[in-house]
Amino acid sequence: MSQVEVSHVTKRFGTMTALDDVTINFTDGGFFALLGPSGSGKTTLLRTIAGFYFPESGTIRIGDIAVQKVPVEKRDIGMMFQNYALFPNMSVADNVGFGLRVRKVSRNEEARRVAEALELVQLGAFAARRPQQLSGGQRQRVALARAIVTKPKVLLLDEPLSALDKTLRVDMQIELKRIQREIGITTIFVTHDQEEALTLADQIGILKAGRIVQVGAPRDVYDHPVDAFTAGFLGDANWVPDSAMSGLTLPREPDGFRFATRPEMLTISQDRPAPGTNSLPGKLKQRIFAGTMATCIVDVNGESWKLTARDRDIPQIAANDDVWISWVPRDTMAVPR
Amino acid sequence: MAGTLNMTDRRRLAMLLTPAYLWLLIAVFLPLAAMLFFSFLTKMPQDGPDWAITLDNYSAFLTNPTYGTLLIKSLQLGMIVSVICVIIGYPCALVLAKSIKGRAREALFLMVILPFWSNSLVRIFSWAIVLRGNGVLELTLNAVLPFDLNLNLMFTTHAVVIGLVHSYLPYVILTSYLALQAIDDDLIDAARSMGASKLTILRRLLLPLSLPGLLAGVVLVFVPVVGSFMEPRILGGRMGTYYGTLIEDQFVAVYNWPLGAALSFILLAVVLVILAVASPVLKGART
Amino acid sequence: MTGGLLALVGRIWLVAILIFLYAPILVMALMSFNASPFYQLPFEFTWRWYQDLSGNAQIATAAIRSVLIAWVTTLIATALGTAASIALFRYDFRGKRVLQILLFPPIAIPWLITGTAMLTFFFAIGIGRGTPAVIIGHVALALPYVIVTVTARLASFDITLEEAARAMGANTWTVLTRVTLPWISPGIVAGALFAFAVSFDQFVVSYFLSEPGDTTLPVLIYTAIRKGFTPEINAVSTIIITISMAIMFIAARYSKIGGNN
Repeated sequence: MSQVEVSHVTKRFGTMTALDDVTINFTDGGFFALLGPSGSGKTTLLRTIAGFYFPESGTIRIGDIAVQKVPVEKRDIGMMFQNYALFPNMSVADNVGFGLRVRKVSRNEEARRVAEALELVQLGAFAARRPQQLSGGQRQRVALARAIVTKPKVLLLDEPLSALDKTLRVDMQIELKRIQREIGITTIFVTHDQEEALTLADQIGILKAGRIVQVGAPRDVYDHPVDAFTAGFLGDANWVPDSAMSGLTLPREPDGFRFATRPEMLTISQDRPAPGTNSLPGKLKQRIFAGTMATCIVDVNGESWKLTARDRDIPQIAANDDVWISWVPRDTMAVPR
Repeated sequence: MAGTLNMTDRRRLAMLLTPAYLWLLIAVFLPLAAMLFFSFLTKMPQDGPDWAITLDNYSAFLTNPTYGTLLIKSLQLGMIVSVICVIIGYPCALVLAKSIKGRAREALFLMVILPFWSNSLVRIFSWAIVLRGNGVLELTLNAVLPFDLNLNLMFTTHAVVIGLVHSYLPYVILTSYLALQAIDDDLIDAARSMGASKLTILRRLLLPLSLPGLLAGVVLVFVPVVGSFMEPRILGGRMGTYYGTLIEDQFVAVYNWPLGAALSFILLAVVLVILAVASPVLKGART
Repeated sequence: MTGGLLALVGRIWLVAILIFLYAPILVMALMSFNASPFYQLPFEFTWRWYQDLSGNAQIATAAIRSVLIAWVTTLIATALGTAASIALFRYDFRGKRVLQILLFPPIAIPWLITGTAMLTFFFAIGIGRGTPAVIIGHVALALPYVIVTVTARLASFDITLEEAARAMGANTWTVLTRVTLPWISPGIVAGALFAFAVSFDQFVVSYFLSEPGDTTLPVLIYTAIRKGFTPEINAVSTIIITISMAIMFIAARYSKIGGNN
């Protein structure tokens, strides 16, 4: 287990700059998510840490060793791929044992550690199967066992859950978190799914156009986005119109800042709320029922605001009625312009 | 299933399929069946009414050791050519499929398989020009080397092997390339992330996964080489007597068609055995 | 980096193979422009052998016959093959698998065996040797290539296009001529080019089925080679290989062989 330090790394493909002076630290034993839209450079960063790409400039340290010129096969990492990349010509046990065989571990030791890793992912009974005979979730676990069996310094995950359907994905998230805690390995996880990143990671790094925009704990990043892009990428943001700021209690002076709230922080009512809360008048446009939750679209001074709450907590209001939107002042985000 | 087709569909189906398959029946399958029949005759029916059924043509194969020797010689030739094609062609397919990318790969692949669809007779003839004594190869080598070399490869077994490798090499490259190209690059990346060297990746991943394609190529080389006669005739001269030329002789020189038919059928049987043995692996080639 | 070295070695290997594949053909072509009738160097440019060709009635007749046979073969094989492909693609029926497998023997069995079998059978039923026999044989050899090429193109055809056309009221004939055939036409063109090449380059089957003295070009060359090499053979061979490579090049572009599909 080691910490990973990426400093001033730049990676170009032809004329395209995929990583632009990226500096980020991954502390020992942490669970990190690299989050960003497609083309933001998150996968490039992961593959550069893995050693598939060598950066044009900058350094990468895994533990105490500078590895930016070391090819992937010598970096002692574990990696999980989007489509699992299980070897179809080998059994589950041989897949998991592949890295041990390469390291010339004795056959007894190999068998013991393979069994141990399969036990950890609860697939002890499937050692003799072929990957083709497994379900998506089981393949996923085999890929995880294969990535950690060599006790690598760092575990790299490239959108490993994106091929699973939603319910299975939630199960696997819990499982992944459990295993990561159990073995305490430094883990870097690439995803474009902000919910997944917020659920799993201790730390989130947000990328945009090859640059790191923000790094922080999930709650920090969610509550205190550094710019409009981050605010909008992590969840929906309702922007307070400049013309409506005067009557509101804001967390700071408005010069150079804009203010926003999250949909789940809002309350909707027909009566004007008591003073002490921030409130704005609007017009209910639409109410969308989605099981336990419901979403309301409200027109606030020409801006379209989104509100989510438990369906039963939202009063019955007809569309196009005048409403009040209110929230607790400390739930206001101040975002630099 | 037939049951789900209505009458109109059935009629259409028959209309579309019958001409092609009737043609194949008359031009390929009936001739093969007829030849099997003729191989049991003393003489061809068109040569006179006094023909009879006999096993002589097949027993000739057993009693005359020349025939068996030539068949073995042809099988050996097929093996040598196949092995050389694999040794030369597989690395080439590997480079094409896994090292070269994009438009360059497409263009190079086309260049490799283009000659294989061009006239085989002409290509064999071109080797005759290159290999003959005082030919281009000898002159070039003597111009480059400090000593004089008397290199007359023409009319040797080497010439036959070179010509056949030239003719059939693209088969092995084609099938191996298709098999290798189908292997997901993520598998290679995964193996590398676990510390595997290039050799390990080749040995434990690429080779096993592309084996069906490689074997398909081997069969596609081996079968026609065993039945080749034009190449040994042109490049082998007096050394070029093989099982294929033996059959050719029965039809164009000796005019013993029943014997030729029997010899052809023995070859066909050998080919079918080879195809049958290879078929479980080959099925994997067409995933 | 060993990776860089390995990639370099691989590229050199590839170039060496390309030289091996093309050098003899280039040498043969060059020699057809060399003045010495005994292929002697130094090289001296001449058109003489090509001029001689045009005066050679035997070669001219054989060439015309070869092209004629290839044309007829192409027409028949393309028509029959396209029809069969559409049937094999469109309908599911018992025995379909068998019919597909039956396409392989003409390709997989050595031509020596198919050719001699055709010879014996055609004599037994009275067709005998000659141009009709050669055409029957060539069509049989070309059919599987046409079917495989057209079927490959059909595989990328979206059957819902036909259903959409039918939903708009088009009858079977209109659907076929306005929707299906236009879509598969590149496959048909490629298949036709394959068929032409199979016939034009075919030696073995032509050799057994053509009347001695009344042969196709490749057979004529074979008999000529066995009597001794002349630069005239180089000249006619150069023409043949140029034509057949050009045809195959176009066919490959049409069927997108080597593409990433």
